[in-house]
Amino acid sequence: MFLLWGKHLNKYYLRYLPFVIVGILSLLAVDWFQLKIPELLGSLVTEIKTNGSIDLGSVFFRNTMTMAIFVAIIMFVGRILWRLTLFYASKKIEMNIRNEMFAKAESLDVTYYHNNNLGNIMSWATDDIETLEEFLGWGTLQIVDGIFLTLFALIKMFGVSVYLAAVSLIPILLIAVVGMLCEGAMGRYWKLRQESNDSLYEFTRESFTGIRVIKAFVKEVQQIRAFSKIARKNKDINIKFTRISVIFEASIEIIIGLVAAIIIGFGGTFVYYTVIGSPLHIFGQPITLEAGPLVTFLGYFFSLIWPMIALGQVITNLSKARTSYKRIARFLDTPTDIYDLPGAMEFDIQGNIEFNHFSFNYPGENKPALDNISLKINKGELIGVVGSVGSGKSTLVNSLLHLYNINEGQVFIDSVDVQHIQIESLRKNVNIAPQDNFLFQGNIKENIAFSNIEASEEEIIKNAKYADIDKDIVDFKDQYNTEIAEGGVTISGGQKQRISLVRAYMTNSSVLILDDVVSAVDLKTEDNILSQLREVRKDKTTIIVASRVSTLLNADKIIVLKKGKLEAFDTPENLLKTSETFQRMYLLQQLENKKGESYGK
Amino acid sequence: MENNSKVPFSSLIKRTLKYVAKEKKWFIISLFLILANAAVGVLLPRVTGYFTDHIASDNPTLKTIIFLAIMAFVLNVVAQSFVYTQTMILTKAGQRIVYKLRMEVFEHVENLSQNQFNDMSVGSLVTVVCNYTSQLTEFFTNTLVKIIRDLLTVIIVYIWMLVLSWKLGLILFGVIIVIFIISYIFSKKVHKIFAKERKQISELNSFLNEALAGMKIIQLFRQENRFMRTFKDKNAEYFKTRYQVILSFSIYRPLVSLIYILSIALIIYMGVRLGLSAGIIVTFYLFLDYFFEPVQQLADSLNKISRAVSAIERLFDLLDIKPEVLDENTIDIKEFKGKIEFKNVYFAYEEENWILKDVSFVVNPKDTVAFVGDTGSGKTTILNLIVRNFEVQKGQILIDDIDIKKISLSSLRRSIGQMLQDVFLFTGSIKDNITLFDDKFTDQEINHSVKYVSLDRFIDKLEDGLDTQVVQRGENFSTGQRQLLSFARTIIHKPQIMILDEATANIDVETEKVIQDSLNKIKTIGTTLVVAHRLSTIKDSDNIFVLSHGEIIESGTHQELLDKKGYYYNLYKLQTSEE
Repeated sequence: MFLLWGKHLNKYYLRYLPFVIVGILSLLAVDWFQLKIPELLGSLVTEIKTNGSIDLGSVFFRNTMTMAIFVAIIMFVGRILWRLTLFYASKKIEMNIRNEMFAKAESLDVTYYHNNNLGNIMSWATDDIETLEEFLGWGTLQIVDGIFLTLFALIKMFGVSVYLAAVSLIPILLIAVVGMLCEGAMGRYWKLRQESNDSLYEFTRESFTGIRVIKAFVKEVQQIRAFSKIARKNKDINIKFTRISVIFEASIEIIIGLVAAIIIGFGGTFVYYTVIGSPLHIFGQPITLEAGPLVTFLGYFFSLIWPMIALGQVITNLSKARTSYKRIARFLDTPTDIYDLPGAMEFDIQGNIEFNHFSFNYPGENKPALDNISLKINKGELIGVVGSVGSGKSTLVNSLLHLYNINEGQVFIDSVDVQHIQIESLRKNVNIAPQDNFLFQGNIKENIAFSNIEASEEEIIKNAKYADIDKDIVDFKDQYNTEIAEGGVTISGGQKQRISLVRAYMTNSSVLILDDVVSAVDLKTEDNILSQLREVRKDKTTIIVASRVSTLLNADKIIVLKKGKLEAFDTPENLLKTSETFQRMYLLQQLENKKGESYGK
Repeated sequence: MENNSKVPFSSLIKRTLKYVAKEKKWFIISLFLILANAAVGVLLPRVTGYFTDHIASDNPTLKTIIFLAIMAFVLNVVAQSFVYTQTMILTKAGQRIVYKLRMEVFEHVENLSQNQFNDMSVGSLVTVVCNYTSQLTEFFTNTLVKIIRDLLTVIIVYIWMLVLSWKLGLILFGVIIVIFIISYIFSKKVHKIFAKERKQISELNSFLNEALAGMKIIQLFRQENRFMRTFKDKNAEYFKTRYQVILSFSIYRPLVSLIYILSIALIIYMGVRLGLSAGIIVTFYLFLDYFFEPVQQLADSLNKISRAVSAIERLFDLLDIKPEVLDENTIDIKEFKGKIEFKNVYFAYEEENWILKDVSFVVNPKDTVAFVGDTGSGKTTILNLIVRNFEVQKGQILIDDIDIKKISLSSLRRSIGQMLQDVFLFTGSIKDNITLFDDKFTDQEINHSVKYVSLDRFIDKLEDGLDTQVVQRGENFSTGQRQLLSFARTIIHKPQIMILDEATANIDVETEKVIQDSLNKIKTIGTTLVVAHRLSTIKDSDNIFVLSHGEIIESGTHQELLDKKGYYYNLYKLQTSEE
């Protein structure tokens, strides 16, 4: 805090201001009162010196003891308070920013995730947020102690003896300077060490990932040799890093020792001349110093060590925190490309679809993925989409979901441009079982009931039967409660596809897109699913993207795409006569089936 | 007794000590240095105490004052140089142990079989190699040493206290006990909260990671609010645990400092009562630090110990895995003629789920044969079995009439050049990727292999030529270029048998032509086995095997198979009509 400002932080500073104020006030109280202890010790020495001994029953001794206990209690309370308030604020801010980042992540579109590495986002939400929190919590403590405790102690030291304070001031400042240098140099070596660790990680990861090639060419020995080089380098840099940090730690300790020696030497000399009755003179002024105040002075100095070191660290920590904050702020400020346009409509979608001279270019690609597509789909129709890899099938269906902004032509649903339909309302009514059947951790039931976590068991089972997965699930030991997680039951690709299909069925939306969802299931299962499709999707629009023609033979109409262009859009019967691509796919399919019959088990 | 496979702690330690044993002398030397350091360290408070007495006395002398000042400084320098020497000795010893351990684990992992690799996540293997090895070592060079040092210091300080004033010493023993008990209770408690905190943050982060990976689904199914709620809940839970940590520390740390100040008061009070000099009181006061510092580290030490134990466990678990494909009682073979025979081979990844069923065939030396069939027919598996990436369950595979199980893995794989479907590229230059970082190859050999496969056409266009760096696993090269690179990689290693899994991805027409031309050249080198996806490329093969569901259903030359008018004939007709 104090040194780090930004619009994503300021509002929280304001919100937690009371905590921050109480925290800082408590810190100041602790700082002030902890300097009382050297004074008490000094006064004891003075008392012994003047009276030869201390009388336990004396008022002086009772006062001293009472004062000591009073100080102890104030420090106890103060220390509890500042920890509870300052760290509360810093961790609350951390929590809030993390929530903000999650909300932002949810608002970003497919394109963003395509262009940005997931690992980066993760590291902003973990490492950077932690660095920031540490600065807000510990950093504040370092700043307050570094400034105020230093100030208090210095003022008091000058109060005891201007000359002694002046003599020891430079080496004291040296602590902060060395501390700063130490942080800087350690930072550099820390980075070197980090890089060395990274290359060790990277090499190991790559070697294990490419193990097939290594084994194929019998290069294990070369790999081990190369690894040994990197590991040895890592060893050396680790030793170097330790050396630097020990040297710096030791030099700070030695400087502290030096200051202590200076105070003992000079202070002792001042005391000596004061005791023998002829105090030293500087600029005509006599320097008088008693033993008691010297002990106090020494105590002040020891209180100065921590804030001096803290001051040295603050500068480095601040720059680290600033970098982290910038990364977080940049993420939070990412513009969202997909949002509701002003006047976006909200309505119950029926499921009539029209593409009107629709073309689509992915950002950065020079060839259009789709080129001038015009066609009409009526409510309740079962539509197939075929074409070879890269012909634009997925792009076509994705355009119905407003995942990307459309720049050429239009896509209408119920005569309304997709981009003018409220996203909430669009996605409620238009759903997809996508190609990448991503399932979440949790059990099968939770994954199926993804869109409506309160769905009845009856409905879940009914839809699971439609997707021909119920028979698989009841075979699992935990049935619908089977966990989908690493190390859990192995769920095959085909089963995943079908679970993802049920998940989509559960939405019961007016338009449903099945993007190649039966590619990994066997023919019989595919048949079971397709034969029930009409029943599931009665009177609702359904679009199936498929790589096998057999999947689509009972579709109302089929869209045939070739290299982004619409080759044909007709009934399967007509297509068999007119579309070359479709004919070839059909024949290939028949061949496969025949082979399956004659040679299969 | 023992539950599941959990190894008792003592045997873990015993096994770990083996690695430490070689550095024994350095550990002993550092122990002496630690002892010396502790002894010097405790002198400093005594000097300060003596100084206090001296200046508080009626007849201080300048000589003594200056002497004490210099003494304080010198002692400090000596103590610090001990610290430096000891730390460096231990760090070096520790780093040597880490290095050795890493080499052992890395070597072990490199020798596991392909199948075993598929069962383990690369991420966790990397963690063992990079992380756990250093955690284990750190335990010995850092945590354990700190504990020993603190213990020694406390003992020395306490003995000195008893010497200075046994009465005050005994009284302070009570304080020490109190502070130890408080610290112990706190450590236990905070250790549990720390564990909870670690668990929660890793859950929170894995939730976040999953949500980011599945964001498309979340958005398409409009589950943003639900995920936001769950995230907020988890985040709030985490905050709560973190606040528990703060709360614990907020009580513990101030409590310790309260006891510390009260102890000072106690020292002063008792010191005065016992009639001790101001100097001795100051010494006792300074000695207090030596008790309070280490005891506050207790929680930290406990935490580190428990982490080290779990690291050690996982490290040894990995080291205990035996390589599946054994290389025992095998012979080295310098050169193969190249005859390959499959005799009634059965293979399954999982029991009884046969990928290959009773497959038999013979390939004559220098012949080129092709395997055709759709996904899951077992054609790629055949290639995997020849190089012993997996072991067959039944039957035999022979090369030059020798069972491949009797041939040493290195000579087997060295003679078989593998050109795989997706070409894995390592970080490094094109040259490194051809030689695979083996510096035995001369530039001439490299250039020859590059020319042989016509890779030079592409390389010549690159500014840095062979030294062009591969970035992001080769994303700066097209699929075709990567194929050619893998050909060059194979050629330079001079195999007698070649296996090739054709790339399925789209390759532009020009590159396709280059690839075909160089393939035709490569095929003349020795026996070649090709897994084909496009039939046009295998017309000239000496023999073609058509596979379906793990069995060979047709075989013969291209012409013979066409004449049969079977599966191959139909497939061929369809594929040619496509082009």
